[in-house]
Amino acid sequence: MFKPVLLHKTGPQIAQEIQACIGCNECLLACPALAEPITIDVLNCQTLSGSISPAVAHFARSCYQCGACVDPCPVGLHRDAMMMLLKVRLLRSGWEE
Amino acid sequence: MHSEGEKGYPWYFFSLTRAWGKSLLVALLVITGAGVLYLWYNRVATDLAPDSSLGLSYAVAGTLCLGLAAALYTLRRRSRKRALGHLNAALHWHVAFGVMGLALLFMHSFGNFNLLSGTYALYSLIALVISGFIGRSLDQIIPRLIATEVHKALTAQGEDRIETISQQLQHIVVHNTQELAAFDVTPPKEKRPRRFASSPDLQTSWDLAYITLEETPQELSRDTPQYRFVPEKRSPLTRPGGLIPGAQEHISALHSVQTALQREQCYRYIIRYWRVFHIGLAVLTALLTLWHITYAAQLLLPTLFH
Repeated sequence: MFKPVLLHKTGPQIAQEIQACIGCNECLLACPALAEPITIDVLNCQTLSGSISPAVAHFARSCYQCGACVDPCPVGLHRDAMMMLLKVRLLRSGWEE
Repeated sequence: MHSEGEKGYPWYFFSLTRAWGKSLLVALLVITGAGVLYLWYNRVATDLAPDSSLGLSYAVAGTLCLGLAAALYTLRRRSRKRALGHLNAALHWHVAFGVMGLALLFMHSFGNFNLLSGTYALYSLIALVISGFIGRSLDQIIPRLIATEVHKALTAQGEDRIETISQQLQHIVVHNTQELAAFDVTPPKEKRPRRFASSPDLQTSWDLAYITLEETPQELSRDTPQYRFVPEKRSPLTRPGGLIPGAQEHISALHSVQTALQREQCYRYIIRYWRVFHIGLAVLTALLTLWHITYAAQLLLPTLFH
């Protein structure tokens, strides 16, 4: 039923996917974890590097990796993998403190 | 990978959104109201049966709640007219209607848990609601476990650790192999002392048994699989950079990353298959409820028309 694939992708792969994102918002519209509206541009900007805003951090902590965002993407990107990288960044930043 | 803003990914994350607060309040009000009515009815009425007027009202309200729990969320997910955050609100209402439905149908039973169709439907509903709560707990825990495993699988720069370790290991192996190949373990032939009795340079030993063509114990042990070449202290292999250490450490790091990847995959399966299990239970509950409604209708309809 489900392909045995890994959830995560590497930083360079995520960078490529972010470059390919057309900003249609379909992934965010399909997300059952997103409570407060955020823009896809802000999410894309903060996924790989830079500071993470409270709204994006809140969304990353709420996301439960259900994969509902993957199917509606018209260009076949993996928003769940992008969210995972964001979570790893949050996790590491917490340990650094 | 370094960030300045929000930090940390705590295990316990709780945020009360407006939709959640509203759905929680409505669920509490409905359950409290139904509970008060149940207690009042227990005092004033004599007919405390699932097919009493209040019992049937609970049955209708409970079934309606379950229908709404299933339909609203499913329709919202498939709807084309969506706005950001609406699906999250629908999920909170899905949970609230599920709990309300369970409470109302529990009251509908009036404590009758005979092994009839209704009891099976109620047990299935209890299992469904519990599976929903377990699912929500897994949603909270498992992404954090996956993030911990992914942290092991990625370098600080976000690159694949397996590839990085493999490259380092390959470098060590190639370097050490070249160094060992360049190092002549056996001494030059001309310096090797002649061991044969027929040699003219060699004096005939008074003990003929001393000179033998058999391999020495050292030569024999070199052929065994456990043999490990240890260069001498003055050997060129012991100079700094002669042999790069750490191959075993790299191999164990590789194993730990592979274990992390397997765990990540396993956690992902748990998230996905728990949803399948929850949906399966929902289908089973719907079928058992239909069976119970058909059974109850066969009993009730003749009494209503006569």
